[in-house]
Amino acid sequence: MKLKWSGAAALVVFAGAAHAQSSVTLYGVMDSGLFYQSANAANFQSKVNLGHVYELKDGGIYSSIWGLKGTEDIGGGYKVNFKLQGSFNSSTGKTGLADTPTTTAIFNQQTTVGVSTPYGSVDLGRQIVPMIYAMADTDVRNAQYFGSVLTGWLGLNQAAGWQGTSTNGPVGALYDDNAIVYRSPKFYGASLALEYAPGGVPGQFQGGTRESGVLQYSNYGLNLAAVYYNGHDTNPFTTTASGIVTAPSTGLNNNQFYYLGAQYTTHGFSVSSSYSRARNPANSSSPKGFNLEMFSGGLGYQFNPVFKVTSGFYYLHDRNVGANHSAEYALGGEYNLSKSTLAYAQVGYVDNHGNMSQTISYGAPVPEDRSSTAAMIGIRHSF
Amino acid sequence: MTTRKILRIAGTVLLALTSAGARAQPGASAASAALNATAIAASGGTTAKDTRAANRALRRQIYAAIAKHKDISAGDISVVAKGGAVTLNGTVVDASQIDKVAEIAQGVPGVVTVTNKLTVKKPFGGQ
Repeated sequence: MKLKWSGAAALVVFAGAAHAQSSVTLYGVMDSGLFYQSANAANFQSKVNLGHVYELKDGGIYSSIWGLKGTEDIGGGYKVNFKLQGSFNSSTGKTGLADTPTTTAIFNQQTTVGVSTPYGSVDLGRQIVPMIYAMADTDVRNAQYFGSVLTGWLGLNQAAGWQGTSTNGPVGALYDDNAIVYRSPKFYGASLALEYAPGGVPGQFQGGTRESGVLQYSNYGLNLAAVYYNGHDTNPFTTTASGIVTAPSTGLNNNQFYYLGAQYTTHGFSVSSSYSRARNPANSSSPKGFNLEMFSGGLGYQFNPVFKVTSGFYYLHDRNVGANHSAEYALGGEYNLSKSTLAYAQVGYVDNHGNMSQTISYGAPVPEDRSSTAAMIGIRHSF
Repeated sequence: MTTRKILRIAGTVLLALTSAGARAQPGASAASAALNATAIAASGGTTAKDTRAANRALRRQIYAAIAKHKDISAGDISVVAKGGAVTLNGTVVDASQIDKVAEIAQGVPGVVTVTNKLTVKKPFGGQ
């Protein structure tokens, strides 16, 4: 009898929980295609050309991902949200990189819990940084994984010494650990996102911290974005003969990044442009910290609701050493086979000089100081 | 060195152009608006200038109506008004917003027809 009652009580509790939990969604994307690239390298800081490659590659548009997300409405316009999202390589099944070198994580892109209110939302945990959304909104190529403002921005990271073994880049990372992000409601098309990521380093208040602010405007067919990002102890890793050495976190401010971008859409056309600046403010005297800039331009046309073509131009330049520069051109077509399946074809060309190694496709290193051509056809299916 | 300078100038100009785009747009459709106006003028109506001003005003009203819905980003939406005929181009973040935006536009006084060419934008990184 006693058992029965506790069983019934448990049932009531669970029923209550089920009622409050308004939704949990399992979702994901598979993105895979045939990839060709004329010049390839073993890593981002190599001048050795390994020759042509033909391969099955993940992530022609964005990487393959899967995740779980949910929302609980707690009344009065307040909601509790969670999101777990990880990337994986559809060619090999391997999970994506984390902030620790050569380490992967199941949910390497996002592990957040937060609250949304009428006054904005707050999300806590590892997450995709707010600035890349602003950059995607002001790039006709949408910060895709093939020839976009994303590969240009990662090119800046590579020029500043990022080895690609972790997601902790010198010029702002695509993901930040320990992040607290506030997003304001829209006010006449304007919105603000603020990020603070405490480093959690004992004895070093500023050790490993990140701060960023993103101001966006979106109305009248116009997207405007302004980004400021500041990082302490970024990319502390050095590869040595005996392995990767991690420098201690001292609170050194060694990363500043600014971005200004605009995109305008009229009729079927979209046009975009941006300027960004990345520097290491820690070393102002010789040897100077990195001081890099990027210009971008994009043009796209939507032929009909299922077919569009986008193109972009991304130019990187080292303000300390003029011989280091890189120009990339990308062109892609996307055809929607259905609401959840997309076929795409894209080509890109990059001309790297000096220590630049801007890639055409995410995760496919090209040698420094030479040109490379890439092409990819693929399919992207979301579920 | 010179290439870099040219690029820097080109970049700045492009940035300025895209920023000014919101205002430049009505001028771009001036030719077709003028055609419309000629027809109206021939039938003893308003001037081309009046027609352009009316199209611009209607376009602004539609954007203002969309902006009231905080979940919709009108920065990716092109609104072109010719007389009462409105054409929507560009993208929204969710499939449900395609019909929603058309509905909002249809509700603006002066709008007669809405041609809806909106599509869904892929969110950065996936979902």
